[in-house]
Amino acid sequence: MRYLILALLPFLALFLQSTIFRTFNINGAIPDMVLVLVVFYALLNGDRKGTMYGVMCGLLEDLYIGRFIGINSISKGITAYVIGRLQGNVFKENIIVGIIGVIGGTLLNSGLLFILSLTSFEVFNLDHSIFIDMVYQGIYNTLIAIPMYVWYYRSSSRGLLREVGER
Amino acid sequence: MFNFLQKKSFWTILITALLLLVIMKLSSSNRQEITVLEKLLRDSYSPLQTGVDKLKIGINQISVGMAHKKEIEEQMVALETKNNLLSLENQQLRENKAEVERLRSLLAYKQAQQDQYDLEAARVIARSPNNWYKIITIDKGAENGIAGGMPVINPDGLVGRVVSVSTNSAQILLITDREMAVGAILQETRETRGIVEGMGDSGTLRMINIPYYSQVRVGENVVSSGLSETYPPGIHIGSIQVVTKESNGLVLSATVSPAVDFNQLEEVLVIKKYRQVEANGNKGA
Repeated sequence: MRYLILALLPFLALFLQSTIFRTFNINGAIPDMVLVLVVFYALLNGDRKGTMYGVMCGLLEDLYIGRFIGINSISKGITAYVIGRLQGNVFKENIIVGIIGVIGGTLLNSGLLFILSLTSFEVFNLDHSIFIDMVYQGIYNTLIAIPMYVWYYRSSSRGLLREVGER
Repeated sequence: MFNFLQKKSFWTILITALLLLVIMKLSSSNRQEITVLEKLLRDSYSPLQTGVDKLKIGINQISVGMAHKKEIEEQMVALETKNNLLSLENQQLRENKAEVERLRSLLAYKQAQQDQYDLEAARVIARSPNNWYKIITIDKGAENGIAGGMPVINPDGLVGRVVSVSTNSAQILLITDREMAVGAILQETRETRGIVEGMGDSGTLRMINIPYYSQVRVGENVVSSGLSETYPPGIHIGSIQVVTKESNGLVLSATVSPAVDFNQLEEVLVIKKYRQVEANGNKGA
Protein backbone atom coordinates (compact mmCIF):
# COMPACT_ATOMS: atom_id res chain seq x y z
CA MET A 1 0.00 0.00 0.00
CA ARG A 2 2.84 2.31 0.96
CA TYR A 3 4.59 1.85 -2.38
CA LEU A 4 1.35 2.25 -4.31
CA ILE A 5 0.75 5.62 -2.62
CA LEU A 6 4.37 6.67 -3.14
CA ALA A 7 3.98 5.83 -6.84
CA LEU A 8 0.63 7.61 -7.18
CA LEU A 9 1.69 10.79 -5.38
CA PRO A 10 3.95 12.14 -8.18
CA PHE A 11 1.20 11.29 -10.73
CA LEU A 12 -1.25 13.34 -8.71
CA ALA A 13 1.28 16.15 -8.22
CA LEU A 14 1.93 16.40 -11.98
CA PHE A 15 -1.79 16.41 -12.67
CA LEU A 16 -2.35 19.25 -10.18
CA GLN A 17 0.64 21.20 -11.52
CA SER A 18 -0.62 21.05 -15.11
CA THR A 19 -4.23 21.94 -14.30
CA ILE A 20 -5.31 23.55 -11.03
CA PHE A 21 -2.05 25.27 -10.08
CA ARG A 22 -1.88 26.88 -13.54
CA THR A 23 -5.05 28.74 -12.56
CA PHE A 24 -3.64 29.70 -9.16
CA ASN A 25 -0.15 30.75 -10.26
CA ILE A 26 1.94 33.42 -8.55
CA ASN A 27 3.14 35.82 -11.22
CA GLY A 28 3.05 32.98 -13.75
CA ALA A 29 5.04 30.62 -11.53
CA ILE A 30 3.64 27.33 -10.26
CA PRO A 31 4.93 25.15 -7.43
CA ASP A 32 6.98 22.01 -8.04
CA MET A 33 5.00 19.57 -5.92
CA VAL A 34 6.98 16.65 -7.32
CA LEU A 35 10.17 18.21 -5.98
CA VAL A 36 8.58 18.88 -2.59
CA LEU A 37 7.59 15.20 -2.39
CA VAL A 38 11.10 14.11 -3.37
CA VAL A 39 12.64 16.39 -0.73
CA PHE A 40 10.36 15.02 2.00
CA TYR A 41 10.98 11.43 0.96
CA ALA A 42 14.76 11.95 0.95
CA LEU A 43 14.67 13.76 4.27
CA LEU A 44 12.84 10.88 5.95
CA ASN A 45 14.38 7.91 4.11
CA GLY A 46 17.99 8.91 3.44
CA ASP A 47 20.18 9.47 0.40
CA ARG A 48 20.01 6.02 -1.19
CA LYS A 49 16.24 5.60 -1.28
CA GLY A 50 15.81 9.33 -1.83
CA THR A 51 17.99 9.32 -4.94
CA MET A 52 16.05 6.41 -6.40
CA TYR A 53 12.73 8.10 -5.71
CA GLY A 54 14.05 11.41 -7.09
CA VAL A 55 15.22 9.77 -10.33
CA MET A 56 11.90 7.93 -10.78
CA CYS A 57 9.78 11.03 -10.09
CA GLY A 58 11.97 13.14 -12.39
CA LEU A 59 11.66 10.52 -15.11
CA LEU A 60 7.88 10.58 -14.82
CA GLU A 61 7.92 14.36 -15.26
CA ASP A 62 10.34 14.06 -18.20
CA LEU A 63 8.16 11.47 -19.94
CA TYR A 64 5.10 13.66 -19.49
CA ILE A 65 6.85 16.71 -20.91
CA GLY A 66 8.58 14.65 -23.60
CA ARG A 67 11.56 16.94 -24.11
CA PHE A 68 15.11 16.34 -22.94
CA ILE A 69 14.12 13.20 -21.10
CA GLY A 70 16.47 12.78 -18.17
CA ILE A 71 16.98 16.44 -17.27
CA ASN A 72 14.55 16.32 -14.34
CA SER A 73 15.67 12.80 -13.38
CA ILE A 74 19.25 13.99 -12.94
CA SER A 75 18.38 17.23 -11.16
CA LYS A 76 15.85 15.62 -8.81
CA GLY A 77 18.12 12.60 -8.20
CA ILE A 78 21.04 14.82 -7.18
CA THR A 79 18.81 17.09 -5.10
CA ALA A 80 17.38 14.05 -3.28
CA TYR A 81 20.89 12.71 -2.66
CA VAL A 82 22.07 15.98 -1.09
CA ILE A 83 18.91 16.35 1.03
CA GLY A 84 19.05 12.65 1.95
CA ARG A 85 22.56 13.07 3.36
CA LEU A 86 21.00 15.22 6.09
CA GLN A 87 18.68 12.43 7.23
CA GLY A 88 20.54 11.29 10.33
CA ASN A 89 21.70 14.78 11.35
CA VAL A 90 18.50 16.78 11.64
CA PHE A 91 15.46 16.82 13.89
CA LYS A 92 12.83 15.81 11.36
CA GLU A 93 9.84 16.31 13.66
CA ASN A 94 10.38 20.04 13.34
CA ILE A 95 8.46 21.54 10.44
CA ILE A 96 11.20 24.17 9.99
CA VAL A 97 13.52 21.36 8.86
CA GLY A 98 11.03 20.41 6.15
CA ILE A 99 10.67 24.03 5.03
CA ILE A 100 14.42 24.66 4.93
CA GLY A 101 14.83 21.38 3.05
CA VAL A 102 12.30 22.55 0.45
CA ILE A 103 13.94 25.98 0.06
CA GLY A 104 17.40 24.42 -0.29
CA GLY A 105 16.05 21.71 -2.58
CA THR A 106 14.33 24.26 -4.82
CA LEU A 107 17.50 26.34 -5.14
CA LEU A 108 19.66 23.28 -5.84
CA ASN A 109 17.18 21.75 -8.31
CA SER A 110 16.73 25.08 -10.17
CA GLY A 111 20.49 25.58 -10.34
CA LEU A 112 21.02 22.08 -11.71
CA LEU A 113 18.22 22.49 -14.26
CA PHE A 114 19.73 25.82 -15.30
CA ILE A 115 23.19 24.30 -15.85
CA LEU A 116 21.80 21.24 -17.65
CA SER A 117 19.65 23.49 -19.86
CA LEU A 118 22.62 25.63 -20.85
CA THR A 119 24.66 22.58 -21.77
CA SER A 120 21.90 20.61 -23.49
CA PHE A 121 19.57 22.96 -25.33
CA GLU A 122 20.50 24.08 -28.82
CA VAL A 123 18.88 27.44 -28.17
CA PHE A 124 18.26 28.72 -24.67
CA ASN A 125 17.42 32.40 -24.47
CA LEU A 126 18.36 33.78 -21.16
CA ASP A 127 17.26 36.85 -19.28
CA HIS A 128 16.50 37.82 -15.72
CA SER A 129 12.94 36.40 -15.85
CA ILE A 130 14.29 32.91 -15.27
CA PHE A 131 15.66 33.96 -11.87
CA ILE A 132 12.45 35.77 -10.99
CA ASP A 133 10.56 32.56 -11.79
CA MET A 134 12.94 30.64 -9.50
CA VAL A 135 12.25 33.04 -6.63
CA TYR A 136 8.47 32.84 -7.08
CA GLN A 137 8.65 29.07 -7.32
CA GLY A 138 10.70 28.96 -4.12
CA ILE A 139 8.05 31.02 -2.33
CA TYR A 140 5.22 28.88 -3.70
CA ASN A 141 7.01 25.64 -2.84
CA THR A 142 7.54 26.88 0.72
CA LEU A 143 3.85 27.77 1.05
CA ILE A 144 2.64 24.36 -0.05
CA ALA A 145 5.42 22.61 1.89
CA ILE A 146 3.89 23.62 5.25
CA PRO A 147 0.62 21.62 5.02
CA MET A 148 2.29 18.92 2.93
CA TYR A 149 5.05 18.29 5.49
CA VAL A 150 2.55 18.05 8.34
CA TRP A 151 0.59 15.41 6.41
CA TYR A 152 3.66 13.62 5.05
CA TYR A 153 5.42 13.38 8.39
CA ARG A 154 2.31 12.13 10.20
CA SER A 155 1.61 9.64 7.44
CA SER A 156 5.21 8.41 7.47
CA SER A 157 5.33 7.95 11.22
CA ARG A 158 1.88 6.52 11.91
CA GLY A 159 -0.19 6.60 8.74
CA LEU A 160 -0.36 5.08 5.27
CA LEU A 161 3.25 5.91 4.38
CA ARG A 162 4.68 4.19 7.46
CA GLU A 163 7.27 1.54 6.68
CA VAL A 164 6.18 -1.99 7.51
CA GLY A 165 7.72 -3.11 10.82
CA GLU A 166 8.04 0.43 12.19
CA ARG A 167 5.01 0.42 14.44
CA MET B 1 41.85 6.11 -2.12
CA PHE B 2 39.89 4.65 -5.02
CA ASN B 3 37.85 2.28 -2.87
CA PHE B 4 34.65 3.81 -4.15
CA LEU B 5 35.42 2.25 -7.55
CA GLN B 6 34.70 -1.14 -6.08
CA LYS B 7 31.32 -0.10 -4.77
CA LYS B 8 28.33 -1.41 -6.74
CA SER B 9 26.29 1.73 -5.94
CA PHE B 10 28.93 3.99 -7.50
CA TRP B 11 28.73 2.15 -10.82
CA THR B 12 24.92 2.04 -10.68
CA ILE B 13 24.78 5.83 -10.21
CA LEU B 14 27.40 6.46 -12.88
CA ILE B 15 25.73 4.24 -15.50
CA THR B 16 22.27 5.69 -14.70
CA ALA B 17 23.57 9.25 -15.01
CA LEU B 18 25.35 8.53 -18.31
CA LEU B 19 22.29 6.75 -19.68
CA LEU B 20 20.06 9.68 -18.73
CA LEU B 21 22.46 12.16 -20.35
CA VAL B 22 22.39 10.15 -23.59
CA ILE B 23 18.57 9.93 -23.54
CA MET B 24 18.44 13.68 -22.85
CA LYS B 25 20.46 14.43 -25.95
CA LEU B 26 18.42 12.03 -28.07
CA SER B 27 15.06 13.36 -26.92
CA SER B 28 15.50 16.86 -28.27
CA SER B 29 12.46 18.94 -29.15
CA ASN B 30 12.68 17.99 -32.83
CA ARG B 31 11.45 14.44 -32.32
CA GLN B 32 8.55 13.62 -34.62
CA GLU B 33 7.40 10.52 -32.74
CA ILE B 34 7.04 9.94 -29.03
CA THR B 35 7.61 6.61 -27.27
CA VAL B 36 4.81 4.20 -26.29
CA LEU B 37 5.45 5.00 -22.63
CA GLU B 38 5.03 8.73 -23.21
CA LYS B 39 1.89 8.11 -25.29
CA LEU B 40 0.43 5.91 -22.56
CA LEU B 41 1.21 8.47 -19.87
CA ARG B 42 -0.32 11.38 -21.78
CA ASP B 43 -3.38 9.42 -22.89
CA SER B 44 -4.00 8.46 -19.27
CA TYR B 45 -3.74 12.12 -18.24
CA SER B 46 -5.81 13.70 -21.01
CA PRO B 47 -9.29 12.46 -19.90
CA LEU B 48 -8.54 13.69 -16.36
CA GLN B 49 -7.34 17.05 -17.65
CA THR B 50 -10.37 17.36 -19.95
CA GLY B 51 -12.55 16.57 -16.92
CA VAL B 52 -10.93 19.32 -14.85
CA ASP B 53 -11.31 21.75 -17.76
CA LYS B 54 -15.03 20.96 -18.08
CA LEU B 55 -15.47 21.22 -14.31
CA LYS B 56 -13.76 24.63 -14.39
CA ILE B 57 -16.09 25.82 -17.15
CA GLY B 58 -19.11 24.46 -15.23
CA ILE B 59 -18.09 26.19 -11.99
CA ASN B 60 -17.43 29.43 -13.86
CA GLN B 61 -20.82 29.28 -15.54
CA ILE B 62 -22.64 28.58 -12.29
CA SER B 63 -20.85 31.31 -10.36
CA VAL B 64 -21.32 33.86 -13.14
CA GLY B 65 -24.95 32.83 -13.49
CA MET B 66 -25.65 33.18 -9.78
CA ALA B 67 -23.92 36.52 -9.47
CA HIS B 68 -25.34 38.21 -12.54
CA LYS B 69 -28.70 36.61 -13.23
CA LYS B 70 -30.56 39.88 -13.82
CA GLU B 71 -27.65 41.35 -15.73
CA ILE B 72 -27.54 38.27 -17.96
CA GLU B 73 -31.25 38.51 -18.72
CA GLU B 74 -30.80 42.13 -19.78
CA GLN B 75 -27.78 41.19 -21.81
CA MET B 76 -29.73 38.44 -23.53
CA VAL B 77 -32.39 40.88 -24.69
CA ALA B 78 -29.69 43.28 -25.89
CA LEU B 79 -27.83 40.47 -27.63
CA GLU B 80 -30.98 39.26 -29.38
CA THR B 81 -31.54 42.75 -30.75
CA LYS B 82 -27.91 42.96 -31.75
CA ASN B 83 -28.14 39.52 -33.33
CA ASN B 84 -31.00 40.64 -35.54
CA LEU B 85 -29.02 43.67 -36.65
CA LEU B 86 -25.95 41.55 -37.28
CA SER B 87 -27.98 39.08 -39.33
CA LEU B 88 -29.02 41.92 -41.59
CA GLU B 89 -25.45 43.18 -41.76
CA ASN B 90 -24.29 39.65 -42.47
CA GLN B 91 -26.56 39.45 -45.48
CA GLN B 92 -25.04 42.65 -46.84
CA LEU B 93 -21.55 41.33 -46.12
CA ARG B 94 -22.32 38.14 -48.00
CA GLU B 95 -23.21 40.26 -50.98
CA ASN B 96 -19.96 42.16 -50.56
CA LYS B 97 -18.03 38.94 -50.20
CA ALA B 98 -19.46 37.63 -53.45
CA GLU B 99 -18.40 40.85 -55.12
CA VAL B 100 -14.90 40.62 -53.62
CA GLU B 101 -14.62 37.05 -54.81
CA ARG B 102 -15.57 38.05 -58.31
CA LEU B 103 -12.91 40.77 -58.22
CA ARG B 104 -10.38 38.32 -56.85
CA SER B 105 -11.04 35.90 -59.64
CA LEU B 106 -10.43 38.76 -62.01
CA LEU B 107 -7.07 39.25 -60.34
CA ALA B 108 -6.35 35.55 -60.85
CA TYR B 109 -6.66 34.63 -57.19
CA LYS B 110 -8.18 31.19 -57.22
CA GLN B 111 -9.29 31.19 -53.61
CA ALA B 112 -9.98 33.73 -50.97
CA GLN B 113 -7.53 34.29 -48.11
CA GLN B 114 -9.72 32.55 -45.53
CA ASP B 115 -9.63 29.33 -47.54
CA GLN B 116 -5.87 29.08 -47.12
CA TYR B 117 -5.95 27.01 -43.97
CA ASP B 118 -7.34 23.63 -43.09
CA LEU B 119 -8.02 24.26 -39.40
CA GLU B 120 -8.80 22.06 -36.42
CA ALA B 121 -10.19 23.79 -33.33
CA ALA B 122 -9.01 22.47 -29.96
CA ARG B 123 -9.34 23.30 -26.28
CA VAL B 124 -6.40 23.86 -23.97
CA ILE B 125 -6.74 21.19 -21.26
CA ALA B 126 -3.40 21.53 -19.46
CA ARG B 127 -0.29 23.63 -19.25
CA SER B 128 3.33 22.93 -18.56
CA PRO B 129 3.75 21.25 -15.16
CA ASN B 130 6.87 23.33 -14.51
CA ASN B 131 8.16 26.84 -15.08
CA TRP B 132 10.96 25.91 -17.47
CA TYR B 133 8.97 25.15 -20.56
CA LYS B 134 6.14 27.06 -22.16
CA ILE B 135 3.95 24.25 -23.39
CA ILE B 136 0.22 23.61 -23.45
CA THR B 137 -1.74 20.40 -23.96
CA ILE B 138 -4.78 20.37 -26.26
CA ASP B 139 -7.66 17.90 -26.40
CA LYS B 140 -7.05 16.84 -30.01
CA GLY B 141 -4.44 14.33 -31.11
CA ALA B 142 -3.48 11.85 -33.81
CA GLU B 143 -7.10 10.68 -34.04
CA ASN B 144 -8.06 14.14 -35.27
CA GLY B 145 -5.29 14.34 -37.83
CA ILE B 146 -2.89 16.41 -35.72
CA ALA B 147 0.79 15.78 -36.44
CA GLY B 148 4.08 17.12 -35.14
CA GLY B 149 5.30 20.42 -36.59
CA MET B 150 1.85 21.83 -37.40
CA PRO B 151 1.54 25.56 -36.66
CA VAL B 152 -1.02 26.67 -34.08
CA ILE B 153 -2.87 29.98 -34.11
CA ASN B 154 -5.84 31.69 -32.53
CA PRO B 155 -7.84 34.66 -33.86
CA ASP B 156 -5.27 37.07 -32.36
CA GLY B 157 -2.17 35.54 -33.91
CA LEU B 158 0.52 32.89 -33.75
CA VAL B 159 0.44 30.58 -30.72
CA GLY B 160 3.20 28.03 -31.44
CA ARG B 161 3.70 24.66 -33.05
CA VAL B 162 2.81 21.06 -32.28
CA VAL B 163 5.81 19.26 -30.79
CA SER B 164 4.39 15.87 -29.91
CA VAL B 165 1.16 14.02 -30.43
CA SER B 166 -0.53 11.17 -28.59
CA THR B 167 -3.85 9.54 -29.53
CA ASN B 168 -6.16 12.06 -27.88
CA SER B 169 -3.92 14.98 -27.05
CA ALA B 170 -1.06 17.04 -28.42
CA GLN B 171 1.56 19.28 -26.91
CA ILE B 172 2.10 22.76 -28.28
CA LEU B 173 5.37 24.59 -27.77
CA LEU B 174 4.42 28.26 -27.37
CA ILE B 175 6.33 30.98 -29.21
CA THR B 176 7.26 32.37 -25.80
CA ASP B 177 9.38 29.28 -25.01
CA ARG B 178 13.11 29.94 -24.77
CA GLU B 179 13.76 27.50 -27.60
CA MET B 180 11.32 28.93 -30.13
CA ALA B 181 12.32 31.02 -33.12
CA VAL B 182 10.06 32.20 -35.95
CA GLY B 183 11.10 33.96 -39.15
CA ALA B 184 9.37 37.36 -39.08
CA ILE B 185 8.81 40.46 -41.16
CA LEU B 186 7.38 43.91 -40.44
CA GLN B 187 3.85 44.00 -41.79
CA GLU B 188 3.71 47.57 -43.09
CA THR B 189 7.11 48.04 -44.72
CA ARG B 190 7.67 44.38 -45.75
CA GLU B 191 11.35 45.26 -45.82
CA THR B 192 12.75 44.27 -42.49
CA ARG B 193 13.27 40.60 -41.89
CA GLY B 194 14.35 39.13 -38.59
CA ILE B 195 13.81 36.30 -36.18
CA VAL B 196 11.34 36.46 -33.33
CA GLU B 197 12.37 34.32 -30.40
CA GLY B 198 10.79 33.45 -27.08
CA MET B 199 12.22 34.63 -23.77
CA GLY B 200 10.43 32.21 -21.46
CA ASP B 201 8.15 35.02 -20.32
CA SER B 202 4.54 35.01 -21.51
CA GLY B 203 4.49 38.77 -22.01
CA THR B 204 7.65 39.32 -24.08
CA LEU B 205 9.24 38.19 -27.32
CA ARG B 206 12.42 39.45 -28.94
CA MET B 207 13.06 40.18 -32.60
CA ILE B 208 16.73 39.78 -33.51
CA ASN B 209 18.92 40.09 -36.60
CA ILE B 210 17.23 43.26 -37.82
CA PRO B 211 19.62 45.08 -40.22
CA TYR B 212 20.97 48.32 -38.69
CA TYR B 213 19.57 50.48 -41.52
CA SER B 214 15.98 49.29 -40.96
CA GLN B 215 13.34 51.88 -40.17
CA VAL B 216 11.67 49.98 -37.35
CA ARG B 217 8.99 51.96 -35.60
CA VAL B 218 7.44 51.31 -32.20
CA GLY B 219 3.94 49.90 -32.55
CA GLU B 220 4.56 48.30 -35.95
CA ASN B 221 3.08 44.85 -36.44
CA VAL B 222 5.32 41.83 -36.81
CA VAL B 223 4.05 38.89 -38.88
CA SER B 224 5.52 35.53 -39.85
CA SER B 225 7.67 35.79 -42.96
CA GLY B 226 6.87 32.33 -44.32
CA LEU B 227 10.52 31.68 -45.08
CA SER B 228 10.49 28.56 -42.93
CA GLU B 229 8.29 25.68 -44.01
CA THR B 230 6.64 25.44 -40.59
CA TYR B 231 4.71 28.69 -40.42
CA PRO B 232 2.58 30.17 -43.18
CA PRO B 233 3.36 33.81 -44.01
CA GLY B 234 1.36 36.74 -42.68
CA ILE B 235 0.35 35.40 -39.27
CA HIS B 236 0.33 38.15 -36.66
CA ILE B 237 3.02 37.61 -34.02
CA GLY B 238 2.97 40.88 -32.09
CA SER B 239 3.93 44.53 -32.16
CA ILE B 240 7.26 46.30 -31.65
CA GLN B 241 7.70 47.79 -28.18
CA VAL B 242 11.32 48.89 -27.83
CA VAL B 243 14.11 48.98 -30.42
CA THR B 244 17.73 48.66 -29.30
CA LYS B 245 21.04 48.66 -31.12
CA GLU B 246 23.17 45.58 -30.52
CA SER B 247 26.68 46.08 -29.18
CA ASN B 248 28.31 45.13 -32.51
CA GLY B 249 26.44 48.00 -34.18
CA LEU B 250 25.51 45.90 -37.20
CA VAL B 251 22.12 44.71 -36.17
CA LEU B 252 19.17 45.92 -34.15
CA SER B 253 16.96 43.98 -31.83
CA ALA B 254 13.47 44.78 -30.64
CA THR B 255 11.20 43.78 -27.81
CA VAL B 256 7.94 42.48 -29.22
CA SER B 257 4.70 42.34 -27.30
CA PRO B 258 2.88 39.15 -28.38
CA ALA B 259 -0.49 39.46 -30.09
CA VAL B 260 -1.83 36.47 -28.18
CA ASP B 261 -2.64 36.68 -24.48
CA PHE B 262 -0.98 33.44 -23.40
CA ASN B 263 -2.35 33.64 -19.87
CA GLN B 264 -5.93 33.59 -21.15
CA LEU B 265 -5.44 30.98 -23.87
CA GLU B 266 -8.38 28.57 -23.84
CA GLU B 267 -9.01 27.63 -27.47
CA VAL B 268 -6.59 27.32 -30.34
CA LEU B 269 -6.68 26.43 -34.03
CA VAL B 270 -4.21 23.93 -35.44
CA ILE B 271 -3.33 24.51 -39.09
CA LYS B 272 -3.35 21.02 -40.54
CA LYS B 273 -2.61 22.17 -44.07
CA TYR B 274 -2.04 25.51 -45.69
CA ARG B 275 -1.79 26.72 -49.22
CA GLN B 276 0.45 29.62 -49.99
CA VAL B 277 -1.15 32.29 -52.18
CA GLU B 278 1.42 33.60 -54.58
CA ALA B 279 1.41 36.89 -56.40
CA ASN B 280 0.44 35.34 -59.72
CA GLY B 281 -2.49 33.57 -58.17
CA ASN B 282 -0.99 30.09 -58.09
CA LYS B 283 -0.99 28.18 -54.85
CA GLY B 284 1.55 25.86 -53.47
CA ALA B 285 1.12 23.44 -50.58
